[in-house]
Amino acid sequence: MSQRTLERMRHAEGADDASARAPQREARRAFLKTGLAIAGSLVLPLAFSEYVEAAEDGTRFREINDWVRVDPDGRTVIGLSQAEVGQGVYTGLPQLLADEMDADWRKVSVEFVTGRDAYRIAAANERPQQFVGASMSVTMFQQRLRVAGAQAREAFLAAGARRLGVRPTQCATKSGRVIHLQTGRSLGYGELLADAAQLPLDPQPRLKAQSARTLVGQPLHKLDVPAKVNGSAVFGIDVKVPGMLAGALKMAPTLNGKPVAVRNREAVRALPGVVEVVQAKDAVIVVANTYWQAKQACDALDVQWDDGAAPADSAVILAQRKAALMSAHAVTATRIGDAPAQFETAVARGASGAKVIEADYHTPYIVHAPMEPVNATVHVREHEIEVWGPIQGQDKVRWTLGAIFKLPPEKVIVHTTFLGGSFGRKYVPDFVIHAAVASKAVGRPVKVTRSREDDIRHGFYRPGVSARMRAVLGADGYPRAMHLRVVGQSLYWSIKRDYFEKAGGWDETMLDGLYDLGYAVPNLLVDSVSVDQRIPVSFMRSVGSTSSIFFLESFVNELAHAARIDPLDYRRTLLRDDPLALRVLERTAARANWARKPAPGVYRGLAYSLYTGRGGAFTTYVAIVAELRMVDGKAKLERVVCGVDCGQAINPTLIREMMEGGIGFALTNTFKSEITFKDGAVVQGNFSDYPLLYLSQMPKVEVEIVESDRTPQGCGEVALPPVAPAVAAALFEATGTRLRTMPLEQALV
Amino acid sequence: MQFTLNGQPFEFDGDPDTPLLWVIREAAGLTGTKYGCGIGACGACTVHLEGEATRSCVLPVSAVAGRAITTIEGLAPDVSHPVQQAWIRQDVPQCGYCQSGMVMAVAALLKQHPHPTDAQIDQGVTNLCRCATYHRIREAVHVAANA
Repeated sequence: MSQRTLERMRHAEGADDASARAPQREARRAFLKTGLAIAGSLVLPLAFSEYVEAAEDGTRFREINDWVRVDPDGRTVIGLSQAEVGQGVYTGLPQLLADEMDADWRKVSVEFVTGRDAYRIAAANERPQQFVGASMSVTMFQQRLRVAGAQAREAFLAAGARRLGVRPTQCATKSGRVIHLQTGRSLGYGELLADAAQLPLDPQPRLKAQSARTLVGQPLHKLDVPAKVNGSAVFGIDVKVPGMLAGALKMAPTLNGKPVAVRNREAVRALPGVVEVVQAKDAVIVVANTYWQAKQACDALDVQWDDGAAPADSAVILAQRKAALMSAHAVTATRIGDAPAQFETAVARGASGAKVIEADYHTPYIVHAPMEPVNATVHVREHEIEVWGPIQGQDKVRWTLGAIFKLPPEKVIVHTTFLGGSFGRKYVPDFVIHAAVASKAVGRPVKVTRSREDDIRHGFYRPGVSARMRAVLGADGYPRAMHLRVVGQSLYWSIKRDYFEKAGGWDETMLDGLYDLGYAVPNLLVDSVSVDQRIPVSFMRSVGSTSSIFFLESFVNELAHAARIDPLDYRRTLLRDDPLALRVLERTAARANWARKPAPGVYRGLAYSLYTGRGGAFTTYVAIVAELRMVDGKAKLERVVCGVDCGQAINPTLIREMMEGGIGFALTNTFKSEITFKDGAVVQGNFSDYPLLYLSQMPKVEVEIVESDRTPQGCGEVALPPVAPAVAAALFEATGTRLRTMPLEQALV
Repeated sequence: MQFTLNGQPFEFDGDPDTPLLWVIREAAGLTGTKYGCGIGACGACTVHLEGEATRSCVLPVSAVAGRAITTIEGLAPDVSHPVQQAWIRQDVPQCGYCQSGMVMAVAALLKQHPHPTDAQIDQGVTNLCRCATYHRIREAVHVAANA
């Protein structure tokens, strides 16, 4: 890791919210009540119904601290503040806590919790908030959860020793029991609950040594799987609240359009089941007894629209970016040595000396498209708002609704369900506002569900960007100078203008892996040009690195090819000062048998990336080797080997799944995803024209987890960036064509 | 109109053009079957119609009058079905939203091909998973077939 990587300050989401900080006075008392509300108002329990229902009497379970409740039978409810979007926090975070607590894992259940400071995180100088994002759950919560578990363990140990009439030092804890070592007499945590719950907690309990850990490191089965294979897991779209109505939306045909008037409001109100037609700022909502009635009525709406500010057509946007690649007004992000002078000298010398390599690359706008379209259930009451749904940012929802309805944030109660995918999408609370506006209009709880078409046409997109990558190769074939430029709509310019300006007019998300280049290059210039577009954008899994690492790693493969050096050897040299990078490369190469020639007809490519969390929160190293065959001109992806160093593994299964799924997600990006704009509107509207990878197209994945002494690092986004460049390199081997535009123009079998 | 839902007679007196998906979710209150696309493209709404995998979001409820529908809730609520057991053993789901449909699609596939080849899995499982759990789905189909 370079010094620059260590020094740079990156930021977490949420700085755009400027309202007052949520007071926490009542939150503590509300913990149990909130738990009850979830269990009581959702007809189906979230999971492990017996435990949750047992909590409903409110007396049997007693709170040990912000994270742990235990009942007299030793059943342990561990609070989960981080929304489960598929990344495995439902298992991995409780696993950390339960290990320190020496809880009986078979008696552990999990409950979503909210509303306390303990559940909030802040990066850089940002206002603390409860949210999931930026692969930060493990980094931000591992210490808190270990402390919470150790506190509970110490309390039970002290209570147990007292009851057994011995000293705590003569006792041990194991699987939810306090054991007197000499005699083997033991008491369960449940039996000790009344005593333990009275004891003061040590704010700095002793944490376990690595060797004493029993659960951490184990591939424990995921706790949420049973509920996800029998239909009982409650996602936002499944929420049932007494008296609830259903809402469907009609959004503008254009991207930034707004409703001006509903021409047939009364006729639509008279349709079967319809309760109300509500005009929101950016949509018309029909509220009815059932969703299908609301949807039918929506389709019958005759709305006068204001088309709003039209984004340019995609062809125009690309032309603007191509012009910006040559702009004389780029903003410098990184300058080491004197790259421009090196280029001048190299060009002046012509072919006799150094060699100049140059290539342009492009990525499109893409959209999250979680399988569960955005939806929320909201009940706006006079002095309080209650929200149920697939919420990625609990405090963001509180602040947003509080500001709109002029209520203090703590009067907005948020119940988190399972999220049917999110990838960043459900942090933006636009869909919660729709349900709130609808509820306010009818005075009852309303669940508003967006259609797939509007989910795709009115998203918050990952910007499409272009790059010009240039290098001067020395006589040894290695870059003596590099000039890396990325241009396009800046995410930070669009939604975090203060960050953009603080940095001096560039956006770190556009230059991920470039401005903090890990490769040893003596002369480096990294710059960017922000090309303003009127397109709503936001964070999407792996953010800008799904573009920037495609550019960088594709280019490094091109340089290695120009230098006639094996791409692994090339990286070994350029990463010679980074032992962690080298280790993950070597392990990946060994697993992929890189040293041996591939089987006849098999083509392979390599790429690498160092993923740095926001504010330098974590560093995870990933290398990918992709293997494919060509069948009748189509590519058949056969195998992807993925080496990952994400520090100590809390649960290897969870890491493997984030790599496997991340690779599949990246393959959709690589070959399929493209949002285009025409006449002010998004062209695509469903999986028919915004396709996803099919099972038949998924390669075999082999994950190599590199053992590490580092604390656990982030995982959710790290696998994606190197996938596209590795696949593009394999395709070059197979076809001799460099594909430099995503989605790659290459059909899959 | 009447049809059989998870072995019980079910009466629906609303619009006969209502897609079966929304009858199952709203009239019957069984929310395990999901809405994903509304055009039969993603398979999150997969149920069994007389034992065959069927995408319920594009099927008007009138088409199932007098016929038998099984949803994920009716497959084996105690998760004892071999496909459910394989899904648990292989830790297949991530977000889980598509998995009801996946489980139903695979349960139907295994009735047709008790020991499917990879090619038969490729052809038989065309449901979409945005988390891309496909690698484990394939493994779990083989595990279920060999259970």
